[in-house]
Amino acid sequence: MNAAKVLRDGAAAMAHLSTVSATLKLTKGIVSIKGFALVNAKTSVRLPADSDTTYTVKQQDFLFSLEVVISGGHVYLHAPFTTFQEQTGAAAAAFPDMAKLFDSSTGLPAMIPAGTSPRYISTDKVDGKSAYQVATSYTAEQVHGLLSELTSAGPVNARVWVGVSDHLIRKAVLDGAFGDGGKEAAVEVDITGFNSTINIASPTP
Amino acid sequence: MERRVLVALAGTGLFIAALDAYVVVTLLPAIMSDIGLTIERLEQATPIVTGFLAGYVVAMPLLGAYSDVRGRIPVYVACIAAFAVGSVMTATAGLWGFAGLPWLVVGRFIQGLGGGGLVPLSLALAADLYRDRSRTLALGSVAALQEAGSVFGPLYGASLAAAAAGLGGWRFVFWLNVPLAAICAAGLVAATRRAELPSREAGSTIDWISALLLGVGLGLLVIALYPDDPEHRPTNILFVPAIIAAAFALAAYGWRHVRELEPLIPRDLLRSRTFIGAAVANVLVGAALIVALVDVPLLGRLVFNLSQLQSGLLLTQFLIGVPVGAVAGGVLAGRVGSRVTAALGIALSAAAFLQMSGWRADELSLHAGPLRQADIALAICGLGFGLVIAPLTAAVLALTRGQSHGLATSLVVLARTMGMLVGLSALTAFGLYRFHQILGTPVINDPDLRDRINHLEQLVAAAFLQEYREIFLIAAVMCVVAAVVIALSLQPTRKSGGT
Repeated sequence: MNAAKVLRDGAAAMAHLSTVSATLKLTKGIVSIKGFALVNAKTSVRLPADSDTTYTVKQQDFLFSLEVVISGGHVYLHAPFTTFQEQTGAAAAAFPDMAKLFDSSTGLPAMIPAGTSPRYISTDKVDGKSAYQVATSYTAEQVHGLLSELTSAGPVNARVWVGVSDHLIRKAVLDGAFGDGGKEAAVEVDITGFNSTINIASPTP
Repeated sequence: MERRVLVALAGTGLFIAALDAYVVVTLLPAIMSDIGLTIERLEQATPIVTGFLAGYVVAMPLLGAYSDVRGRIPVYVACIAAFAVGSVMTATAGLWGFAGLPWLVVGRFIQGLGGGGLVPLSLALAADLYRDRSRTLALGSVAALQEAGSVFGPLYGASLAAAAAGLGGWRFVFWLNVPLAAICAAGLVAATRRAELPSREAGSTIDWISALLLGVGLGLLVIALYPDDPEHRPTNILFVPAIIAAAFALAAYGWRHVRELEPLIPRDLLRSRTFIGAAVANVLVGAALIVALVDVPLLGRLVFNLSQLQSGLLLTQFLIGVPVGAVAGGVLAGRVGSRVTAALGIALSAAAFLQMSGWRADELSLHAGPLRQADIALAICGLGFGLVIAPLTAAVLALTRGQSHGLATSLVVLARTMGMLVGLSALTAFGLYRFHQILGTPVINDPDLRDRINHLEQLVAAAFLQEYREIFLIAAVMCVVAAVVIALSLQPTRKSGGT
């Protein structure tokens, strides 16, 4: 099994997506976004630039959700107990643009094949589909380029599951020193809803 | 000697189970976080508390009779095993994808079923083993353990979770129940082999129809009062049909239960003004008591910004007040009678709630001399509840013969727990609806996200404060109504007449 080719095929398949959904779950360590500890994030993306993302963050013992909709170049935030409010300037840039995560030139399709020493691990079932599991690693710069919130103190180990038949990347697990203060952290990303119908509209404030 | 060991072990098991009734109150934010419930869906946390109470209330009136034929110890062991199973389910909530909120609520319900069963079983066991004055003392001790467990639960949970932060925090509180339950069960089985228990009557069995009616009735009642959309309505969208169906189911249960109880409790008792008054007062006392036990720690977390442990400690003065009041109530009732003592006690709690209905965001910084005003109010509130609980129980006991004391005490606990269940459900529904009304839809324009969230937190805390003030006011009114009921129904003499 040519693991490098598996990654290249995965990247190529991802570059042709029009819509996609992903769930990001922090499984180890603490990663903060604008001072809030991230618990998980769920996003629906319509490429090239629209997304609807709900971040679940923790403050003291309490969880709360922050929903960010990026549509038609406008950014809207829904904080707990409020309605959507359009954000501009620094407030608009406070959250990552999840559509860029799947951008063919700067997102996962560009980064995935650039992994160091890829090796085939196994063939697993992911979401009911057969997928090759490939282990590789990425530099701190590569990961930071993907998501600016992830600043790693060293290389990040990754396991990527690439569909056997459709070559779509269905799951990725990143493990490295990208937690707060350069501590160890791990995130699990499940990717679903490839080219499915997604409705992302500008919310009415 | 074996009798004492048996009653002590049974009472210990009951105490452990009663602790868990409100143990979740101070742990709620951490539990909510670990099962993925966000603060804006606070109403979804209500069944974590009411689930236990519902199980408790369903099991309490049923298992005493069942143990008549199956034996106290086997049924007790089965109940404490159920409590342990429920504890394991609760402790593991959020650990796997399938173990979310429904898993947790079912776990709490099973905990409640097991724990609720222990109330009549422990009382019946004490009644089996003791006679005459010793029986009253044994029953009183068992009932006191149940009361103490309920009241100390929130502080116990917060303290244990803080001490066991490295061992799972809140989960440890529930894991610990497993060895404790096993010790009680094993000890009871071992002690039973050395003790002679009275032979059981044949023919008594569990009344499954009553169980079903009560379970369905309470379930519907909880659903009717569950605020599924507190932003837009105070109760559930199914409120009207659910409340009507609940009323029918509970009325049918009441009719069956009264009919079943007749051989045990004289018809005169069920028609007695004192009994009815004590039952109504107990329901009101339960509903007001739950406000202090649940809402004060939550207020500490949501408004006073206290930690989990600090929010539990906020109840300390209240918890000191209850046993002090209970002792004082016993002495005072002997001098001035149950009616005056109980009415005075609940009036004190009413006054304290009235003071609490004016609490401010900086309340904990306000002092009267060396003491915090909030602590004084909470101590008086606890003192009042302590004063009222014993005379109300004594008034009911005075109406029954010795062999019915267990059942009578069980009915007193049942009435209070019903008050707690309905009070908590109704006041949570009202409170969350009022919270959304008070908060409205804030528009916050701070440029920095962090500032914006901080600003929002202040508005949310202010809305919660106003909500809790109103709930404290309602609790004060309930206490006043209870005082009036007590004054009108309990007999004025020092000792209530027996039947």
